[in-house]
Amino acid sequence: MIQTKTQRVIGYVVLILFLVAIILPFYWMVVTSFKPNTDITAYPPSLVPKHWTLIHYATAFGHFSFGMYIRNSVIVAVSTTFFVLLFASMAGFAIARLPIRAKTPMLIALLIISVFPPIAVITPLYMLLRTIGWLNSYQALIVPYTAFNLPFAIWILRNYFLQVPGALFEAAKIDGATVFQTFYRIFVPLTKPGLFAAAVFTFVAAWTEFFMALVFNSANQMRTIPVGIALFSGQFNVPYGEIFAGSVISIVPIVILVVIFRKWIVSGLTSGAVKG
Amino acid sequence: MQTVPAQSASIARRQSLEKTDRNAGYRMLLPAAIVIAAVTLFPIVYSIFMSLNNISLTTNGFTEQFVGLANYGILVKSGEFWHSVWFTVYYAVVTVLVELVLGMLIALAINNVERLKNVSLVIMLIPWSLITVVSAQMWDYIYNGVYGVLNYLLQALHVIGAPVTWLGSPTSAVIAMMVADIWKTTPFVVIILLSGLQMISQEYYEAAYIDGANRWQTFWNVTFPLLRGSIALAGLFRILQAFGVFDLPFVLTSGGPGTATESLAMLGEQVLFGRLHFGTGSAIAVSTVILVLAVCLVFLSAFKSMVKGETA
Repeated sequence: MIQTKTQRVIGYVVLILFLVAIILPFYWMVVTSFKPNTDITAYPPSLVPKHWTLIHYATAFGHFSFGMYIRNSVIVAVSTTFFVLLFASMAGFAIARLPIRAKTPMLIALLIISVFPPIAVITPLYMLLRTIGWLNSYQALIVPYTAFNLPFAIWILRNYFLQVPGALFEAAKIDGATVFQTFYRIFVPLTKPGLFAAAVFTFVAAWTEFFMALVFNSANQMRTIPVGIALFSGQFNVPYGEIFAGSVISIVPIVILVVIFRKWIVSGLTSGAVKG
Repeated sequence: MQTVPAQSASIARRQSLEKTDRNAGYRMLLPAAIVIAAVTLFPIVYSIFMSLNNISLTTNGFTEQFVGLANYGILVKSGEFWHSVWFTVYYAVVTVLVELVLGMLIALAINNVERLKNVSLVIMLIPWSLITVVSAQMWDYIYNGVYGVLNYLLQALHVIGAPVTWLGSPTSAVIAMMVADIWKTTPFVVIILLSGLQMISQEYYEAAYIDGANRWQTFWNVTFPLLRGSIALAGLFRILQAFGVFDLPFVLTSGGPGTATESLAMLGEQVLFGRLHFGTGSAIAVSTVILVLAVCLVFLSAFKSMVKGETA
């Protein structure tokens, strides 16, 4: 756009106000996790903590067994990400590069499936998991999370596979490579950004999912972080200090992923859907 | 005479190669297809079946009794059901509209900004990747009627005289929940719209400038039509999420006060796993799906005709 200096100044002012509005509630949560209980429930609140303490972090891990929730979340999210990448890259490659039939209906079906709200499937799944004795197990979450994240990952990866020149596929075939060899020797290494994007989306979705985790894995030792944080409860008061200590820890891996993969997340989001 | 058999042989060979490739393709699709079918297609069909039955949980497992549309009859007559439909639609429409308008204004404003790109991208992605339960607890503490920081700030600015119990009255609880949602998801909308804006070629703006278009005309005739894909994408993503809203009211308001913030998913969960009415609960689930699909269609077609009307 033909820009003026005023426009640029307005841009910076809006951006900074917007970033401050995002950060302030975060700031409040983080400092609260370091305040002693008397300061957490004081009114007027102290905007900058007068006393700092790590007691809530100790209680979260000791009394509230937050370490267990972290372990459960890591196992579930990492396994889900692994299976989604494995299955979605093969399916995305097949749809992008192989002469299979009914591609368009398949892509539309994937889109429709990915929009179904979890409430639509939660009861039959609950009954199924109960019948086969899978309630309160890792697979009770890994299998549904894999299924729900596959459609979007297949879409993203299909678009990345389409960007690899088709001549490479023909050349590999002339050299005598099988379809599968062409896939994992040539196409997978060339579509790493797409794989990273799909991995981050899947990991974040599995890390944050609450509804199924609450219904399928309600036993304390099988809870994931969201369920643990939602059900943290004290005898008399809401234990905000412990809740926020756990929350701050749960944000750390996500922040690391976002800092490393930010460019690919955005390009995955836009290529996965706009060009589709 | 020699070329003809050679040609047909090569065609046959190519066809058999294509068949090999096609079969390899189906094999590569198979694992994803099995998982998706088992976890989504089968349960959706089974949900429809369950909604037509009376289901009871016995020590031997589940027993079904066909009751036709009786479960839907119960819903149609239930004030609680209609209230949750109304609340869910109202909540989804208001939050998504506010997020799109706000997101568009912010994206337009910061489109020309050169610095701070990396840091603002990270800051905007963090609410998107935040566990909803965490943000719900955070807002719960901010809104607290006794020691909440919101009361303190508003009192300091003389907006309110005495502390308010924000989650205590239906109207303010609904608004409080919407604010929490808007805070968490507007950055996501901004990111999508911003990357859409950055894909628009400068030439269009130069042409509009030469034609003497003012800012408003430029936005309405150049930016908006070229951005409709991004707007539709962000809007659809958000509407679908908003219609399934569960985590936020579960933690922030428990659907209250009363049933003021009881969404369809909350009601469904209550009926299914609280009251163990699996048949009626499934009817709620199926109704939610129908509603979501209907809203998607309306949104997409409204969006198409609106864009067509503007450019015609």
